[in-house]
Order: sequence, then structure tokens, then C-alpha cells
Amino acid sequence: MSGHRVARFIFCTMFVVVSTPWKAHGQRNDHIEGFRRFMEYCAGCHGDDGKGGSKVVSLATTLSVMTRSDAELTRIVHDGTTEGMPPFGQIGDANITAVVHYLRIIEGKSAATSIPAEAPVTGDVNAGRMLYLGKAQCSTCHMIRGRGGFIASDLTSYGRSRPADAILQAITTPDTPLVPSSRVVSVMTRTGLKLTGVLRYEDNFSLALQMKDGRYHLLTRSDLTDVHYTDHSLMPRDYGTRLTSKDLNDLVSFLIVASRSGRRDR
Amino acid sequence: MSLPSAGDSNHKHNWASVYGRFTSPVYRSLAVGWLLLAMHAVNGYGAEKAVEHTAASNSAPVSAHDIGLINVTQSDLVQKQLRDNWVSYNGDYTGQRYSSLTQITPGNVGHLVAQWVFHTGDIGGLEVTPVVVAGIMFVTSANDAYALDAKTGKLLWHHARPTTQGLIDDSARHHNRGVAILGTRLYMETDNAHLLCLDARSGGVIWDEAYATGNKNYGATSAPLIVKDKVLVGTAGGDDGVRGFLAAFDAETGKEKWRFWTIPGPGEKGSESWPGDMYLHGGGATWMPGTYDPDLNTLYWGTGNPSPDYDGSVRPGDDLYTSSLLALDPDTGKLKWYFQYTPHNLYDYDAVQTPVIVDAKFRGKPRRLIVTANRNGFLYILDRTNGKFLFAKQFAKLQNWATGIDENGRPISAGLIPDEKGVQVCPASGGATNWYSPSYDPATHMFYFRVLEACGIFTSKTEPFEEGRTYYSTGTQGVGETGKEYINAFDLRTLDFAWRDLQIGINKGWGGVMSTATGLVAHGDDAENFVILNGYTGKPLWHFNVGQLIRASPMSYAINGKQYFAIAAGSDVFSFALP
Repeated sequence: MSGHRVARFIFCTMFVVVSTPWKAHGQRNDHIEGFRRFMEYCAGCHGDDGKGGSKVVSLATTLSVMTRSDAELTRIVHDGTTEGMPPFGQIGDANITAVVHYLRIIEGKSAATSIPAEAPVTGDVNAGRMLYLGKAQCSTCHMIRGRGGFIASDLTSYGRSRPADAILQAITTPDTPLVPSSRVVSVMTRTGLKLTGVLRYEDNFSLALQMKDGRYHLLTRSDLTDVHYTDHSLMPRDYGTRLTSKDLNDLVSFLIVASRSGRRDR
Repeated sequence: MSLPSAGDSNHKHNWASVYGRFTSPVYRSLAVGWLLLAMHAVNGYGAEKAVEHTAASNSAPVSAHDIGLINVTQSDLVQKQLRDNWVSYNGDYTGQRYSSLTQITPGNVGHLVAQWVFHTGDIGGLEVTPVVVAGIMFVTSANDAYALDAKTGKLLWHHARPTTQGLIDDSARHHNRGVAILGTRLYMETDNAHLLCLDARSGGVIWDEAYATGNKNYGATSAPLIVKDKVLVGTAGGDDGVRGFLAAFDAETGKEKWRFWTIPGPGEKGSESWPGDMYLHGGGATWMPGTYDPDLNTLYWGTGNPSPDYDGSVRPGDDLYTSSLLALDPDTGKLKWYFQYTPHNLYDYDAVQTPVIVDAKFRGKPRRLIVTANRNGFLYILDRTNGKFLFAKQFAKLQNWATGIDENGRPISAGLIPDEKGVQVCPASGGATNWYSPSYDPATHMFYFRVLEACGIFTSKTEPFEEGRTYYSTGTQGVGETGKEYINAFDLRTLDFAWRDLQIGINKGWGGVMSTATGLVAHGDDAENFVILNGYTGKPLWHFNVGQLIRASPMSYAINGKQYFAIAAGSDVFSFALP
């Protein structure tokens, strides 16, 4: 592991321990272990963010990876692929399990999901669309096929890789798990300015916060007196109470159907 | 030369000036307050105000690095001086690759140190020139786009897209030369000739237009060019029997606005070169960004070789508009004039090398010029108002395909025709120069560019076009000792070469050139070094071993008064600055 990666790991460990000591500790440790193993064995080709280099598949966003079961991914890591990925059986089952677990994190999923291509939807898709664009204000932050906001993740393919109950859960109990690059962080500068934004990057020396207007604050840690890590993203956490169960079902149905007509698979 | 002191940053221009205003206490306080209101207006998340700015202080900036708002305006695109930002492949519309930044000088360049390295994960062969806007750097590797903190090289977002299977030739190597930016949007070409519009703030896809259909041999490797409200793109595939074109798309909607075919259709001027359906396979690809003169409202775009490359028997005549410079109206795509460097090209001499816009005295009179070092071994000067030929000079010492250039700029052919036995031709098929960028420094009056001295044996046999296969109609092989590379400096005042710097190396580097207002010339040499020379003399002042082949062109940018040089090499992007 390079010094850079060691530094990043130490930092990640530090912030997890400091900021969420009371959280489900076993789960967090799994994440860290998965992160370490991913950086050690996978990131060289698939990139630190798992999105691949230009000539290897994006593990974070490719539908055919996201929809594979844990068992299938475990087999692929163990045996390699005919497309050129080498086998990693020699790293041992525990490490492979950690890597597969971490893949689910960077995919923004809490668990493996395997869904039929045309899962039935039970809600009113048009009503769901109206909610998405209107009352629920999803499109303020999320983009689907080029329309909508940019500060939150693109949902064009979101509904294709997840069953309805997982989407519902992601709406009503967001941030389980919290995707690192979606975390809201507040910093205080030495000059007394408080900035709160989405943490797009960090290491021991610098961090990047993005504001809702798109502006990046590219900050040096030595210029900061405080960095506060929240345990959440920008995603509202009151949809479970603000929306009725019918609303939620309609919204889920819309996300599934909208993703079927998406052209992109990444 | 009198030089401003180190740390000189230009706050009179565009971005810098906007940022400069907002770092003043009053403006910043107002701005933060406005943003706070705006956040509340769009938030609507009840108790959870997830993003808020608190203007607790109105003293100095947050840090010396407090920039990061991406919004490229028309005035940024037409700027006359290239400073903090480098907003397009060539930095500005002139193609001069001349930076007005002055912090790094011949006196201090020896202290330059690497600031960071960004690893793309590409297996190798980056050809991108980074684009920098407000301290954010955008680079591409094949179909992937990355946004980086230009001060640290750290990744802000990454748009991943798998490479396309089933492509051939250049497109199958998945090279990509970079992005164009307008407003908050980023535009790039993909290996299979899609024009992607991404949100430059997040990397999210806004639209994706397939712009070259009907022939599987199309692909793309270039960076788009923005002119006004349009995005201009060309294609690769000129050795593979595609019909070249330049197309303009509405930057907002992605709708096609015009398309200029570089191979005329039946009945059009020049169609006598393209019997039957040959016009559908005539090449003339448009695989590098052009330049643009806003005053003349004219776009200058080079075209590639005819296809098939080495078999001229199936394409009689001059083969318009291959191996040419096109002057087009950017609003309509109408041809204003053209100049063909290599009529009936039999040697793969594309003419896509940057047509550099230069306003300078030519033989004592101020002229609006286009200066180009062509792959065919000659340097040309044209009047860019009308395409009139003014001057040509052979720069390749190894040159035998033409006995000279006549008074109209037309080469006098030496009659070397590739056949089944093979004929020796110089320059070799890789050209006496190529797509790697030249640079013009208006202070030294020098035009700098890389030269490759080599010859090849060209063989040819008539073959049918077939989709899925290249269409060279046979090929070439090297001859004699390995070619030598040089950096040339051509002085526009004397119309002669001022110096010629031999690149000792392995004859595999394809590094471009740039220059700065302090008389520096930066380039990637033939031995994996990033080098800075004295532009007046060619004397190397500093170098750094990047440890990988350099097949890309450098650029320079500044953040809060600190000047950087950046260059892609192998699979990585490097940035350098003074300590």
C-alpha cells in the first residue's frame, strides 16, 4: 500500500471512529476492511472510485455488475474473467468477501440485489412522475436522462438495478449506507467562515466541498479550525412522513419505469 | 525583456476578475448572503438545511484556493490573452498555445518542481490537453472524463463510460484529446463518435448524440470546439473509408445545425475525383480541433488524407477537399474558401495540424495570417481573409515527394507513385510533423513545432472498401536508420529557421509545444522528459523525467497568482510549479 493510501486509510479510520463511535461498529469495520482490500487489490485497474479506467469496467455504475449476486461477484473475483481480469483466489476468501462487500458500498447499495429485468410495478407511474418533479422535489437535486439537478446522484439507471422495496427503503431511510462522496460536512476556516457542503474529496491535507450552486471549495486542512462530519447526505429524511404510502409506491414505480427507458448502462 | 514580478496574476480578465471581486470582503459577504437565500429558496427540506453558508467573517478569503465555480462565458472563449484559465483544447481560438502568464521565467524555471500526478488508470497513451476553468482541471482518457482540483490533482468527479468494442484503427486505440466547456456544461467525443454533453459540476450526462452513422468505420479522437452557441465535432476514420465531415450541434439541445461534407457528393464541385460511390469512402477526416477568428467570423479546419491512402487510381484528380484547410462560416457551415496543401495525396499527409491564427507583419506589412507546419514537410503561410497563398518553406530535410511549391502554393510532384514493388518516399507516412501542437510566440515572432525526419517504403495495390476493415490499400514500412526528431523555431520576421533542437531519444514521443510570455517553450521530448527551453535560443533550461512516453501537448494555468504547467504522459497527468 502506498503512503498516500495508508494516509487515507488512517484518516478514514479516524473519522469513522471519532464521528460515529456509537454506530453499528461491526458494519463500519467491514467497510474499512473492504476499502483497504479494494485499494490493495482492485483500485490499480478499476480506479480508487471503482469507476474503472478507460479500459476496464466501472464496478460502481455498470448495471451488469450491480445486478450480480454476491455469490456471482465472489466467483468472478476468485476465478477472474475471460475478458482479461486475473483470478484473485490467492488472496483468500475473507479478503474476497471484504472486497465484494465494499463493491456494494460504492454502488450505493446496502446489499446485493438480483431483480428480474421487468419487475412489476404496482403504483401509478404518472402520479409518481408528478411527485418526482413537484411536491417531492427530487428533480431539484437528481438528474434523470439529463434533466434535473446535479448535486445528488444521477437516477437514470437507478431503478434498473434495485427491487421496489430497496428503492422504497432508500427514500424513507436514506444514507443506509451513506455514500462517502455524498456526506454533508461543515468546516470552519481560520478566518471564521463556516462552509457546509457535500464532501467530494478529502485526504489528510485537503478536502473539496461542493455547494448547491455547483461551486467547489477546494480547501487546505491547515486553513481550517474545525471539520464536522454529519452522518447524512443532502437527501431529506422525512419522506416517510411527508408522503403517503401511495405516494411512495407511485414514486418507486416511476423510478423503476423511468430507468427502463434510459439509454445508458453504466 | 522586462518581466513582471513573480506572483503577477491577472485580475483584469474574465474569470480572474470575477473571482477577484468576490474575494473582496464586501462582495464576498454579499455573495454569501445571496447564496444563503438561494439555498433556502431551493432547499425545501424542512428543518434540515443541509447546505448553508455562514458569513461569520468578512476578512481574507477562505484560503488562497477559494475558487471553483464553473461557468465559461462567450467572453472567456474570445479572450485575447490566455492566462489563468485554459478553456479549450488549444486554450483559445488562435491555436497559438501562447500563455500570457509570467510568473515562471528563464531565471527561475530551474526551480520548477512537480506538484502532483493524477493516474487515470488508462493503460497508456493519453493524448489529452487538460482544460482548466476556475481552478478545476478537466481531462479525458478514452471515454472517461475526470474533474480534478488543479492545485492538488485530486479527483472531484469521474464520468466512466466503457470503451466501445468492434472499432478499428485509430478509434480502436480509444485515444481522446479532451473537452470543450460552455457555461456549466462539458462536451466530449467518444471513441464511437458520440457527442456527450455532461454537467461540468457533477459529470452527469445531459445528452448523448451519435453523430456519425452509416459506416462502422467512423470513430472520434478529438476534442470539440465551441463557437458561439454551437459545438463543432469531426471524426476519425480517414484511413478506413469514411466520408469526412464537420458538424455543428446546438450546445443547449444537442440538435444538429449543419454538416459540411469534406468529400463532395455527386454533381458537386470536386465530385470528378469520386466516381460511383467512392465519395462515401473518400476520407478527408476532421480529427483535430480547428481555430476560429471572431473578427472575420471564420472557422479554420484542417482535413485529413484521402482514402484509400496509397492507391490514387480509384480517386483521380485533386481529391477535394482532402488534405486541405477549410474556411467555413460557423453559423451556416458554408465554405468561404479552401486551400489544398497536398492535392491527390498518396502518402497519408493529413492536413489537420493546427491552423494557427497569427496577426503579424509579413514582408513588412501587417497581415492576418494562418501559419501551419504541414505533415507533408512544408511550412505554409496563408492570408486568412481569403485563403491566398503567401509563402511556403520546406522544413523537413528528408523530403522527396515534391520538387517544390509553385507560386500558387501547389506542390510540384516528383512523380513517386506507390505500387506493388514499393517506392521510397520522404517524409514517411507519419509525416514530417503531426497532430501534436505547434505554438506561436508573438514576442519572439517564432513558430515552434516538432519535426520528424524519416522515410518509408510505400506499397499499394487496389482493394475494395469493406466495412470493418481499414482502407489504406496496402501500407508502408520504415527505411534506413530510425528517424530523428527536432523542435524547430521558425522566425516570421526573417522567414527562416532560427534554431533546430535535436531530440535524442527513441523516436516514439509525440509531444506538442507551447510558449509563454516570458520566452519559454515547453514540450515533451522524445526521451520521456517534460522540457522547458529558452524560446530565443532553443537552449534547454529545465527538464523532468515523467517516465512514460509523451504523446500529448502541454498547457499552462494559474490559481491565485501561482502558475502551473501541465502535461499528460502515458497514463498520467503531471503538474509543475515553482515551490
